[in-house]
Amino acid sequence: MSEQVADAPQDGPRPDDHEAGAGRDPLSMLLQPGAWRLERRLHTRPVHELYATLIALAITAVIIGLLVIIVGVSPLDAFASLYEGAFGNRESALETLVQATPLILTGLCAAIAFRAGVWNIGGQGQFIAGAIGTWWVYDTFPGLPAPVLFVAMFCGAAVFGAVWATVASVLLVRYGTNEILTTVMLNFVIDSGLSWLLSGPWQANDTPYSQTERMVESTFLPRFFDDSRLHLGFALALVMAAAVHFLVRRTNLGFELRAIGVNKQAASYKGISVGATIIAVMAISGALAGLAGAGELLGLHHRINFEFGGQAVGFTGIIVALVARLHPAGVIVVAIAFAGLLNGATQMQVGTGIPAALVDVIEGVALVFVLLAAVACRYRLRKIAHHG
Amino acid sequence: MEDFFTYSVILGIFVATFKIATPLLIAATGELVAESSGILNLSLEGTMTLGAFTGFLVANETGNLWLGLVGAALGGGAMGLLMAVMTATVKVNQVVAGLALNILGLGGAFFWYRSVYEEGGAVAFPTVDRFQTATIPLLSDIPAVGEVFFDQHWLTYFGILMVPATLIFLNRTKYGLELRSIGHNPEACDMRGVGIISRQYTAVIYGGVMAGLGGAYLSLAGGNQFFDDIVAGRGWIALAIVIFGNWRASWILAGSLLFGFLEATQLSLQASGVDLPYQLLLALPFILTIVALVLNRSRSQVPLSLTIPYHRGER
Repeated sequence: MSEQVADAPQDGPRPDDHEAGAGRDPLSMLLQPGAWRLERRLHTRPVHELYATLIALAITAVIIGLLVIIVGVSPLDAFASLYEGAFGNRESALETLVQATPLILTGLCAAIAFRAGVWNIGGQGQFIAGAIGTWWVYDTFPGLPAPVLFVAMFCGAAVFGAVWATVASVLLVRYGTNEILTTVMLNFVIDSGLSWLLSGPWQANDTPYSQTERMVESTFLPRFFDDSRLHLGFALALVMAAAVHFLVRRTNLGFELRAIGVNKQAASYKGISVGATIIAVMAISGALAGLAGAGELLGLHHRINFEFGGQAVGFTGIIVALVARLHPAGVIVVAIAFAGLLNGATQMQVGTGIPAALVDVIEGVALVFVLLAAVACRYRLRKIAHHG
Repeated sequence: MEDFFTYSVILGIFVATFKIATPLLIAATGELVAESSGILNLSLEGTMTLGAFTGFLVANETGNLWLGLVGAALGGGAMGLLMAVMTATVKVNQVVAGLALNILGLGGAFFWYRSVYEEGGAVAFPTVDRFQTATIPLLSDIPAVGEVFFDQHWLTYFGILMVPATLIFLNRTKYGLELRSIGHNPEACDMRGVGIISRQYTAVIYGGVMAGLGGAYLSLAGGNQFFDDIVAGRGWIALAIVIFGNWRASWILAGSLLFGFLEATQLSLQASGVDLPYQLLLALPFILTIVALVLNRSRSQVPLSLTIPYHRGER
């Protein structure tokens, strides 16, 4: 009896158990029907979620490592090269932050909507709407002094993004149409709209390409360093993450959106106007994606062209939000990690010959296991006590 | 403008309508079966892309297009299996699971393609000897009608055939009716002893297989190679068509043809240089889908438990 105590869990068999065979070793206890039970935890603590996410990411690393071995490269070389390209030196680390900027904002866009149980899949469309709004302000009010113009352009981006999201939320509240489907459809609608603008009213005179003119230099967002593209948009994204955290945790609207995210019916019995909350949340969500569009336009590209939405930051934002388990601080961390993957993948391809598309596989596998882990951590294995 | 309304242009539009509608139709009828069991599979875009790739890979390696179709079915079915594990067994939120598998399917296809065909940073863009149209003797000699209806790919006939087949399966067979009742009221089915999870697995895997075949049409019949953006939103359009068709097979046929017609018209408008914003025609299917969602809301045939996981004994 004494040697098995070390192996058995703390709430394992007691010496006075009647079932003599039950407690010999943990494996047979696990296999014996009825001895162990998978049961729901009554309360999942944040630390459980963190552990589960970390385990999921570890499993992802193992799977990706195996995949890399199949391709014929040492996983250590691959990961080292990926890391080197992402964070290896000052230049690449700053470039990673450049690429993280829109992902933080689109991640927040998805996170706040998902918190409220509203499935805004339209971050990509709202991102483009934001760029369109920025350009519209720039194009319509050319005479504004620089500080006012900056504020107006960001407001334009936020409003356009919010309006595009509101189309879906009004349809949801008024007619009960599924917002997943409408936001996906609206992504395609605005793609066509942008394509029309670029080949028609907004097309630059000097080129045959579908693109706008280059913006004047006074509208470029200031950069932090001479040797990096890192622009003010990154600071804006961090501020927005803090603002979203404050909004969700410390305001009435935040309480209401969490309440409808948990149970719409209960929330409405409590006196919360579900419709108004959904519309407010979707507007904020769309505005965040719109700001990402403004940041990319004013900080990096300075003109809208056909490839503007090509990075699909709106969709990647959804993955970022989900892997971050919808926490604003987590969104920052995951966005920087994902941007690092994107940024490091080029170097990995040059250094080891592994296709940069590995990043897409990493994102997909990571998300799948984080989701599975999120379900798993709601359960625990428990020994059923037998009282004779 | 007069040039546009010539016999050959209009005939060309109708021929192209069926070609464009084929992958949509195949994927949408599969998705209809999956959704009937109460599982919304949002990963069609990724599943079609993976199917287009695995189909191409097998066809290119073996030189046999029919084996390519088997490869596409396996690729799509594997995605369906993953979706079923995540949603029917583990009961991850269906929307989130679908989005995750979308990324995995797209990324998997891109990565796999490059690791097979990329040499020194450049892809060779291999091609296959694609399927020729299956000309039906005699009937294809009828002017206009013959060219539109009887000179298409086998997969096109297959897609159209799947419409009555799906209709009969879902409305007239025991298994199909059980599937639909699971989609509406899983609790009642569970009490009647109808196995829910096994049927959901079957339905979702079938949906994946069909999406894979739809993707294979693009790489083996409509075109002769694989490239990253080969599916180009068609997975999402197929999802839209299921909604547009209000979860009825016959309306899914109508929806696929309408989407195909708008796309074909748009393409030939662009080619003919007629000065009309073709982007409007590109956006129209999606706007119509939203309108259909709003208009059909009171007589919606949507499976009532769609996206709601079933937990026995829990509420």
